[in-house]
Amino acid sequence: MKKVLWLLVSAFALVTCFSTVTLAQTARFGEAIPLTGPYAAMAEDMKRGSMLALEEINAAGGVLGKPAEVLITDSQLKADVTIRRFKDMMDQGYKFIGGSLSGGISLVGNEFACKNKLLYMAFCHTSIPVGKEFCGYGFTSAVIPYQPASALANYAFKNFGKKWMSLTADYRWGHDNLAAWLVNSEKYGGEFLGNIYHPLGTRDFSAFIPQILAKKPDFLVVTNYGTDQASAIKQLAELGLTKKMKIVISKTHIITIKETGAAFDENVYGSSTFYWHLQDKYPEAKTFVKTFWDKYGSPPSQDGECAYTATKVVFSAMNKAGVVDDVDKVIETIVSNKWPSPKGPTEWRPCDHARLQSICILQGKGAKAKDWDVATLVAEVPYTETLESCENNKKDIPYGQVKLPGK
Amino acid sequence: MLFGFPPEIYLMQIVFGLALGAIYVLLASGLSIIFGLLDVINFAHGTFYMLGAYAVYVAVSLTGNFWIGLVCAVLIVALFGALTEWTLLKRLYKEEPFYPLLLTFGMAVAIPDAMKFIFGLIGKVVEYPSGLVGAIMAGPILLPKYRLFIIVLTAFVMILLWLFLKKSDLGMIIRAATRDSLMVQVLGVNVSRIWTVGFSIGVGLAALGGAVAAPMVSAVPDMGVEMTVECFVVVVIGGLGSLGGAILGGLIIGQVVSFVSLFAGDYSNVAIFFAMAVILLIRPRGLFGEAGRL
Amino acid sequence: MGKNNSIKTVWIALLIFLFLPFILSAPLATEMLIYSLFALGFNILLGQTGVISFGHAAYFGLGAYFAGIALRYFGSSVWTSLLASIVVGGVAAVLIGALSIKKKGVYFAMISLAFAQMFYFLALSALKKWTGGEDGLKFIPILKLDFPFHVDLASPYPLYFFVYFIVALSIFAIWRILESPFGRLLQAIRENEERTEACGFDTTMAKFISLVFSGIFSGLAGGLLTVYLGYVPVTTLFWMTSGTVVMMTILGGMHSFIGPVVGASLFLLLQDEISYLTDRWEMYVGAMFMALVLLFPEGIVGTIKDKIETKRKRVQESQWVGDVS
Repeated sequence: MKKVLWLLVSAFALVTCFSTVTLAQTARFGEAIPLTGPYAAMAEDMKRGSMLALEEINAAGGVLGKPAEVLITDSQLKADVTIRRFKDMMDQGYKFIGGSLSGGISLVGNEFACKNKLLYMAFCHTSIPVGKEFCGYGFTSAVIPYQPASALANYAFKNFGKKWMSLTADYRWGHDNLAAWLVNSEKYGGEFLGNIYHPLGTRDFSAFIPQILAKKPDFLVVTNYGTDQASAIKQLAELGLTKKMKIVISKTHIITIKETGAAFDENVYGSSTFYWHLQDKYPEAKTFVKTFWDKYGSPPSQDGECAYTATKVVFSAMNKAGVVDDVDKVIETIVSNKWPSPKGPTEWRPCDHARLQSICILQGKGAKAKDWDVATLVAEVPYTETLESCENNKKDIPYGQVKLPGK
Repeated sequence: MLFGFPPEIYLMQIVFGLALGAIYVLLASGLSIIFGLLDVINFAHGTFYMLGAYAVYVAVSLTGNFWIGLVCAVLIVALFGALTEWTLLKRLYKEEPFYPLLLTFGMAVAIPDAMKFIFGLIGKVVEYPSGLVGAIMAGPILLPKYRLFIIVLTAFVMILLWLFLKKSDLGMIIRAATRDSLMVQVLGVNVSRIWTVGFSIGVGLAALGGAVAAPMVSAVPDMGVEMTVECFVVVVIGGLGSLGGAILGGLIIGQVVSFVSLFAGDYSNVAIFFAMAVILLIRPRGLFGEAGRL
Repeated sequence: MGKNNSIKTVWIALLIFLFLPFILSAPLATEMLIYSLFALGFNILLGQTGVISFGHAAYFGLGAYFAGIALRYFGSSVWTSLLASIVVGGVAAVLIGALSIKKKGVYFAMISLAFAQMFYFLALSALKKWTGGEDGLKFIPILKLDFPFHVDLASPYPLYFFVYFIVALSIFAIWRILESPFGRLLQAIRENEERTEACGFDTTMAKFISLVFSGIFSGLAGGLLTVYLGYVPVTTLFWMTSGTVVMMTILGGMHSFIGPVVGASLFLLLQDEISYLTDRWEMYVGAMFMALVLLFPEGIVGTIKDKIETKRKRVQESQWVGDVS
């Protein structure tokens, strides 16, 4: 009996070791994204973008002659589950991990990659390139939280007026955006009339409205996401605010615009790193949007584009560097080349691994929205106007130095 | 100007607080009835709130009319509640008291996910009924029509509920069964059916809350999660088992959240827990809770 | 619970856990150990004493945070951080218990929920400087043990066996507590509190001490989680964590000693595996949990025990009949 037991254990051990050895030659990318939880719809888009990228890579011959593999796991929007997934992947020999929709969790993933010398590619707005978060192993295929605010601020102060107020979800991403707005307000001569914090998951925004009406700003900056955003805009419209001022949303999403319905009208603006209307401007976008839409029945959102580009780049870099498990070499390759993306050639800065990409400003269509044609693209702001220098990012200047109201 | 805000603001906050409180009143009164009658803490109360929102979405899509949709939504969910109680919950009354609680907890986990499966991940938009779009201006004060509607509707429903419980025969039996179900049974009433009726009234109220909230927040699968905990707090503040307490608790919390939002928005959701802690320390059974009930 | 039977099951469980990291994965097995300890601690209060708490995330989360704070801000050793988690778990239980243990059943459950939520919101905003807010507590240094010999806690298998060691010790400690006369007193309170009181026992004090023990082990589990993750997520204090430990305990069977261990391990395994098959795993787990509550309220271990009991009785009866005829 004992002998049988020992035989079984050794068999298991051998099998596990052996499988790790044989797979080491295959290019693999492991992702943890919140497929369950409040952002499931957006994570689904990430999954689609990543799978499409994988298909295209393998159709073109794979990585170093062999088909590449992507493992997509559910992080449940929890940091501890994310770490468990990554630990499991590391156990199985994965050196390249990515994903995340939540900025906070992406920082956890980044820290894990730093401690274990893996490459981590986030799909979301994150502060990985900033301050003490940056360690050389983390990337993001999206932007840094302060960038959308900078993109919108210029447009808003030029076109809407100088007096502004903000409604901010009370968590780090919200604060990062608010800090950026405050800095930009100084820069463009804005008049800040006050900020209202709201807890994550607020359903009823009516209690915040009267003070906004009293102060009469030219525009209201709304910094929240997902269902909070849909509820907020719906209720701002219900209470007539969209007729009295412009609404400027730090970061929006086509799914959220759809969930908001007619309330997201021509007086509501928001930023997005990608919008499918870009197909009119970039041939690469046209191909990407068509393939994605035909395959999945809806156009790619910014999450779809981020995941797609991220996956493509990781595998392409492996191909170019000629390795599938040398993390340092792949990092080196990524930062020293330009890569094709749906928005034209894109690149990552070596000093802080920020992706040099533009940000789109969208304007709502209200009742004129039809299917997925939910917004007009009014501007595409280049990164030169939003991304701080490496020096500034390293010291978290100027946004990290802002004293937030009420904090 | 008072504390930096003109007086109109305070009036508006009070009105908005009433509208907020109204939804809490609907949910807390439902929870209170269920607890009073069945001694069951319905952990899935927020789930029925969510079902009400989806039901009104479906009903409005099918009939094109918000009012018909509202009534249908409440009836459908109340019926579903009755079915759940009859087939599932009833079996657990003879077990330890927290088994029904655990069952409802399981429902609270399974049903929202089932909704994602059935309706997809993207929230469903419900438009405001055409008669209630926009606001009435009373001088500088903005009174949104839909919010006023919620307040009036809730008051109406509560009066109806009170009349039902105090004046009708069935209501009298329900009140008796809340006081002492054994005695009611001894007197020859099929108390088991009373429990089903009570449960479906309770969840029907929650569904009404959800249906009414749907135009404001859209029907989203996870919308009930926070609501469950919050309406518990309201019921505990009002006193477990007291309908009047649940109503008063809902109104108070509505005002608390409204005014905390005005002065310290980031604490508006912690405020209710602090309120609960304070009340529990001063008056452990809640405002109108019956002594010895627990 | 038969004294000899339950200690046997403990040994079997520990033996299985010895091989588990090789059969499954080291991280998953480590989490199984940690949540088993959490569920066992929780069950001191529920299964043994009959008191249900919906706020055990408080002890777990505070244990996790204090271990993390000790490691990050005070550069303490892993042993010290675990000690911190034990102490804070106990202290929190003392505080919360002092305010609420006298309340009956459902009230106590809801108050414990409220307190846990308060700690959650405090960690989220008011004490953000220490806790990192909703990002959680990061920048904990890479962990290792120096005493009594060097263990690299960044590697999966040494980490696993370190956690195994601590959890095994704790399981024996809990077993000791539950099998002692004090443990019997708790069972008596569970069965009929008024009668126990009438026999002259101070049931309130007994329940209070039960809560403190429960808090201590739940806190330790939280501390181990921090060591395992190298990070403290704010969800450790969230009410869903309290709900999860309730589900795990019921799943395994609250009236057996080893039940919570089985429940916690199975729950994590299911959660992990089913999520590979479908994104809607919560639907299946929730439905399964409902079926469990309806059909097998004694949980897996409890139902198995019952079946064995029934079988044994039948065999005994047929023997007896055989004797008579």
